[in-house]
Amino acid sequence: MRSTRTAIVAITAAVALSTAATFSQSSATFRTRTYVETLASERFAGREAGSAGERLAGDYLAAQLTRLGAKPLPGRDSLFLPFDFTAGSRDGGSRIVVGSSTFNAPQDVLSLSFSDDTEITGSAVFAGYGIVVPESQNFGYDSYATLDVKDKVVVVLRYFPEDADPQTRAILLRYSDLRYKALAARQRGAKALLVVTGPRSPNAGQTVPISFDTALSGSGIAAASVTSRVADALFAGSKPLKDVQQQFDSGNPHVAGFPLPNVTVTLKTSLVREKQTGRNVVGYLPATAATPTAAKPWVAIGAHYDHLGMGRNGNSLAAKDDAGKPHLGADDNASGSAAIMAIAEALAKQPVRRRNLLVAFWSAEEMGLVGSNAFVTSPPLPMNQIAAYLNFDMVGRMHDNKLAVQATGTSLGWATLLERANVAAGFDLTLQPDPYQPTDVQTFNQVSVPSLNFTTGAHADYHKPSDTADKIDYEDLDRIASLAAGVVNRLMDQSEPPQFAKVEQSSQTVSRTGVRVFTGTVPDYTSNAKGLLLSGVIGGGPAEQAGLQKGDIIIEIAGQSITNIYDYTYALDLLKIGQPVKVVYMRGNDRRETMLTPAARN
Amino acid sequence: MPHLLRRPTAVFVLTGLALAAGALAIIAEPPVFAQSPYQERDFLTRIRRLTVEGRRAGEGYWSKDGTKLVFQSEREPGNPFYQIYVMDLSSGDVTRVSPGMGKTTCSFINPVTGDIEFASTHHDPKSKQLQDEELKFRASGQERRYSWDYDPEMEIYVRSAKTGTYKRMTNARGYDAEGSYSPDGRWIVFTSTREAYSRRLSPAEQKQLDTDPSYFAEIYIMRADGDGSDAKRLTHVVGYDGGPFFSPDGKRIIWRRFNEAGVIADVHTMNLDGTDDHQLTDFKAMSWAPYIHPSGKYVIFASNKLGFDNFELFMVDIDGKKEPVRVTYSDGFDGLPVPSPDGTQLAWTSSRGGGREGQIYLAQWNHQKALEALAAAGPRKP
Repeated sequence: MRSTRTAIVAITAAVALSTAATFSQSSATFRTRTYVETLASERFAGREAGSAGERLAGDYLAAQLTRLGAKPLPGRDSLFLPFDFTAGSRDGGSRIVVGSSTFNAPQDVLSLSFSDDTEITGSAVFAGYGIVVPESQNFGYDSYATLDVKDKVVVVLRYFPEDADPQTRAILLRYSDLRYKALAARQRGAKALLVVTGPRSPNAGQTVPISFDTALSGSGIAAASVTSRVADALFAGSKPLKDVQQQFDSGNPHVAGFPLPNVTVTLKTSLVREKQTGRNVVGYLPATAATPTAAKPWVAIGAHYDHLGMGRNGNSLAAKDDAGKPHLGADDNASGSAAIMAIAEALAKQPVRRRNLLVAFWSAEEMGLVGSNAFVTSPPLPMNQIAAYLNFDMVGRMHDNKLAVQATGTSLGWATLLERANVAAGFDLTLQPDPYQPTDVQTFNQVSVPSLNFTTGAHADYHKPSDTADKIDYEDLDRIASLAAGVVNRLMDQSEPPQFAKVEQSSQTVSRTGVRVFTGTVPDYTSNAKGLLLSGVIGGGPAEQAGLQKGDIIIEIAGQSITNIYDYTYALDLLKIGQPVKVVYMRGNDRRETMLTPAARN
Repeated sequence: MPHLLRRPTAVFVLTGLALAAGALAIIAEPPVFAQSPYQERDFLTRIRRLTVEGRRAGEGYWSKDGTKLVFQSEREPGNPFYQIYVMDLSSGDVTRVSPGMGKTTCSFINPVTGDIEFASTHHDPKSKQLQDEELKFRASGQERRYSWDYDPEMEIYVRSAKTGTYKRMTNARGYDAEGSYSPDGRWIVFTSTREAYSRRLSPAEQKQLDTDPSYFAEIYIMRADGDGSDAKRLTHVVGYDGGPFFSPDGKRIIWRRFNEAGVIADVHTMNLDGTDDHQLTDFKAMSWAPYIHPSGKYVIFASNKLGFDNFELFMVDIDGKKEPVRVTYSDGFDGLPVPSPDGTQLAWTSSRGGGREGQIYLAQWNHQKALEALAAAGPRKP
């Protein structure tokens, strides 16, 4: 605290970590409150990407950046970087004709969200669950092993074999995502994929709701889900579907599919994708040093500023009473945006910057990291010129001085840098190496930029209208901005930029489409506790009914020991709806047991 | 943060949709411990992880002015063993002060001269080979339980604050380590197994040395400015005597004594000449790593009273008349507590950040609350 930033100016020698350490700035310099309160005000109506509120919020951020002296990126004349995305899809009139019967959307058929718009005719082949396990898994399961589906319409069951033993289910469910099934069918030359939810599965006989998908185009195959009425027509000349499904449900890989006798199908798929334009707001503070750092002359900081708007898409967790109210997103992610602005403000005032500071506010993050992906897909500057990227997502709800820093596995240099920068800041840091986080840090990891994400974690107001500015802990948010400014300064001063390290994506990372059970637990994502620490339970849900509560640590479920959130996800996949399982958990020092009955998820 | 993702963690929040009508029930009641009306937060606030780099770190000791912390950490590239580092608590700079080669442990800053003492094996010609073997072992994916090998090559060194050169302080065959300075900087109290290497051992003793050399460890004292030849033995009881520190007034030494079996340990104090041995704890567990608060009124130590793998910090009045008071309430390891010289902060080693390996944590220490809790404690249970 003794030295000031001017001390750095005096030091002109080759700057290594030790001199960077002279940077220390009281968090009193950082003022995040105004930014949060403005961004989370009703005026911006929850900042849904593509909405008027998002435009107003973008205008506000651009004005603030301009005030700080930030400039458009080289070669650009504006701080706005617009991109197109699909904000939602609905069926545009799909239709299926089986023999002489015609079925229409939305009653009996719905295009899948990734379907091509087309019309095809072909004979039908039933391919069981339509699952292909890659050979590399040392586990033989190929629904197409004995089938010729070239130019055919492939009919498959949704999900994965219902009665398979837990190990088999665990493997099969990884390859049961509908996109994956469509890919397998397309690779074998099929013209179309029809999905039936079998009579022995949850949601039996129903179509698959069109999920939110931000892709701008289809996936090269006609794909639709149909009801049991359509299935009955398809299986009119075969055994009843229920009996057929039962054979496949054992998981026995030798149960083979078969052509559906005398069934010709004409399928018309039609999806209406609502295209919208979002805007990333990106500028930079140019390096000012007489001899700027040559290697990778950029440091980037970013946060998404969009949120859920009025909560009309599926991401809202608002209770019924609150549905349709603006989701103000004070923590998610006005807090991160405010941190970025405060850091930029501090760096703007600093006389010497040895690297350019790229300052980014992403949009459409809530729709699947769309804005940041658009940025790296057609990058305004080469990504390999960026020494490092720091992301901030939900940093306004500090608890017990704990700050989670994620994606630390992207460079060996992070631990050193964080340790030194945190000595003055004084957070109880939790380091999580995994960069595959549900936020924009993932985007930069994928283009091999050493990255970090800062977060104070999820809470009861997550994705609800109650995530409001009065609940933000501004003092600690200012401290986070201060810590991050310290990290940015060290990055700017380091002549050797951090080396990127690739973190393998955990094989346990499964598609969520496989998960069908609902337990009503809210895990604490920032915890490194051994087991699964609950940051809450959903009112009335199975976990609450089982007597679990916030602060409990689940260490075993259904005989599977749980040491982390991956174990838990994995174990969840093996649960059966309505079948009670034993849960072992720690409450303080007490080891307790209870029975939990998983419910069905929609 | 979106939850539309390719990541399983998103699932659990999404499941909330199934019962959108229900509010999140957040029950903020912390667990209640019948044994004590106090909780961790009564004594420790603003807890934060201090060391981040490296596989593990521990044993942080303060400089007299409280601006620096000397500690051991496994972070030297190519060396899987502890080396000694000094952290500047205002700038965040971290500097290695040991040679970088071999094993080191147990550092301490001379309160008067700023010299740093620590134990090291860097003179051992096998150092590089041992490092490589350990790295190879780890690369093979195997893990061993934490064990300290009481390497007889371990000798005490002092690094001069003025010149940065090292002076070897012990020359006896045997493990010489666990040193600390007196408040006036004139003395070093330390632990040594030299006894076992200085005489002919009986077959039973030889077997003991092979399986657990710490059995022979005793407390010694020597002049800080000498050459170690004046080292004087202070303890004479079988079983591991170790981890000695001076009291704030420099008149007593506090340490831990293991029983012969090496399972139970208790905290003791004695005069500088080894007289007036006084036992402060009696948990019938492993109570060790004691350090006296600068007020001189109480001792903070670690014990696994609550479970073999669960070390927690406790405190006890300086006379050991009362039942110790529990300080920490976290899973895993909490140990090696060292209060700051002004008594307002506590540095200790903890695995609360996850995993088995410890790192150094720092917190504000509530001295008044500690005194209050100690005053309210009942008499020591027999």
